[in-house]
Amino acid sequence: MATNPLGWIKQKLFGQISCQRCSELMQLMTDGQASAAEEKEFNKHIYDCLPCYETYQLDKSIKEMLRTKLEKKQVPDDLIESIRKKIRDTA
Amino acid sequence: MSVEKRKRNYSEMEKERIFEREFLPHIGSMYNFAYRLTFDEDDAKDLVQETYLKAYRFLNSFQQGTNAKAWLFRILKNSFINDFRKKSKQPSKVDYQEVEAFYNSDSVDVSMTTDLRVETVQHMIGDEISTALNALAVDFRTVIILCDLEGFTYEEMAKILDIPIGTVRSRLHRARNLLREKLHTYAKSMGYNK
Repeated sequence: MATNPLGWIKQKLFGQISCQRCSELMQLMTDGQASAAEEKEFNKHIYDCLPCYETYQLDKSIKEMLRTKLEKKQVPDDLIESIRKKIRDTA
Repeated sequence: MSVEKRKRNYSEMEKERIFEREFLPHIGSMYNFAYRLTFDEDDAKDLVQETYLKAYRFLNSFQQGTNAKAWLFRILKNSFINDFRKKSKQPSKVDYQEVEAFYNSDSVDVSMTTDLRVETVQHMIGDEISTALNALAVDFRTVIILCDLEGFTYEEMAKILDIPIGTVRSRLHRARNLLREKLHTYAKSMGYNK
């Protein structure tokens, strides 16, 4: 990829994966769904590729922020009882 | 597979047990999902109630011990698309135009998206992240909620949304790019970067 000439050379010389392939693996890594082989392939690439490494850090932090910082709404007090009542009424 | 599709015939006691022990514990996630789809507390309440009533009515199609949460999310999502979205005057409840106008106020430079820094994101507060997420179209918002907030696997998401896993992955990829863009534009407008 043009953004990473060194990566391009490594790809050609040492059979490393491309940034495009890395971006596919990045999703699996971010979501904890990569296999051991994919993880190895991915880590080998980002060790040398700063743009991919940075994107990965960013993706992970956005995911983390979504999980931890978004306000969780409290379930209204009467909701469960109202559901139970409707079920009883229709039974 | 054929086993999964087979209808069961639960007794009233079994039904109640499944409902109370396997379905109701997910009500918090269900309510939050409904709220993030409708942006309205009353609508979210109605949607969750409707979902649970349907789940009870079709309980014989549920196989005990399988993923109740995914099953419920699928019903909720379908209820939202089929019944709820048509009934509700949803677009007027959130001023999408205002949100969109805000994000488009200075032209979004897609190539600058990678300028968004980890520290910038980490300093954002919940409201800012929430605004960015809510500004995404419902299909993109949904995959992010299912994956990042609720921790469903791609396979579970495929079942909930009734789309192939490949589509889940590409939709998620796009959704994340869009979210990054929104966050970046927001950060720039607040002078967070640099």
